[in-house]
Amino acid sequence: MLRFLASILALTIWSATALAEPVSYRLDAARSVVGYEVGFGDDLIRGQIPVAAADVTLDFRSNANSSVSVTLNAAGATSSFPFAEQALKGPKVLATGQFPTMTFRSSTLRIGTTTAEVDGQVTIRGVTRPVRLQAQVFRQRGTDAGDLSKMSVHLTGALNRSDFGATGWSDMVSDRVVIKVVARLDRVE
Amino acid sequence: MMRNTEARFGIVTRSIHWISAVLVIGMLGFGTYIARMEVDMSNFHLFGWHKSFGLVALTLVILRVLWHRLSPPPGPMPSGPAWQDRLAKGTHLALYLLLLAVPLTGWIASAATGIDVVVFESWTLPRIAPVSEGWETAFFAAHGVLTKLLAALILLHVAGAFHRRDGTLRRMLRGRA
Repeated sequence: MLRFLASILALTIWSATALAEPVSYRLDAARSVVGYEVGFGDDLIRGQIPVAAADVTLDFRSNANSSVSVTLNAAGATSSFPFAEQALKGPKVLATGQFPTMTFRSSTLRIGTTTAEVDGQVTIRGVTRPVRLQAQVFRQRGTDAGDLSKMSVHLTGALNRSDFGATGWSDMVSDRVVIKVVARLDRVE
Repeated sequence: MMRNTEARFGIVTRSIHWISAVLVIGMLGFGTYIARMEVDMSNFHLFGWHKSFGLVALTLVILRVLWHRLSPPPGPMPSGPAWQDRLAKGTHLALYLLLLAVPLTGWIASAATGIDVVVFESWTLPRIAPVSEGWETAFFAAHGVLTKLLAALILLHVAGAFHRRDGTLRRMLRGRA
């Protein structure tokens, strides 16, 4: 989901030189990462959640016409050690047996020069809550300045898992979950 | 002598008894420690060792019951007052039940979390309970309560052994009174 947001941001940031109508982007899932971090005592548990589907449409003349929609495969989530992965997918956290996917849908963007804020709605365990992500947009290696055909977007944000009913292991694992996304976007020609 | 007789405990029964005693008393302290520690990557493996030694304790009590079917232990020394004999008999029965119930409730509760129960960092035990927060809560609560009851009965058992002057303790140490 974050990757899509990233694409929106990138497009908007360079809107002065950009296209005059909405443009679709495709997420390069193989080179993109949706990562998370949670506290575990003095340590961190890290992992990744694969992207199941993504739709990114950007209108550089009007942010209101841009949209980002991402579906993550929660059932395919990984973790830095096996027990945490089982706990993550279990009924007390993501409950992937009942809720195999997570979704993000953007609502608004606030664009700076090379950074942006992305607001949207994230749905986890069937519970939808607002989330705000900070984004930085980079040109991909090997592309020319002003080339918006390929972009890398780094998004960060945080949420409290208890807001979604993912309260398991709260005596061991922190409530706050940090999200770190590296999204690589290719313009659909 | 391996087998029990009408007058003495054989080496098998005595070995299982004392190994179990050390293991169970150690586990009481170990379990209390891990229940109170702040968990992180450096100590998470202690839960695995708790489960591993718990499985050993469960195995020992099952072996003991089976062995006593094959080689019945001697009866209690008949020197105490009748109420003390009844108390000792009831305590022994309760100890056996708790030595089975405490590890089993821990195993069931762990299985109900949905996380594999891995012992000795190698073997995954069968999932003997459905993944259920209700089961997990109920059986961890039972595990805690039964553990405290076991600790109390062990104290009573030890106190009884020292209280009796009829050779009961000596018989478990040396085989005969």
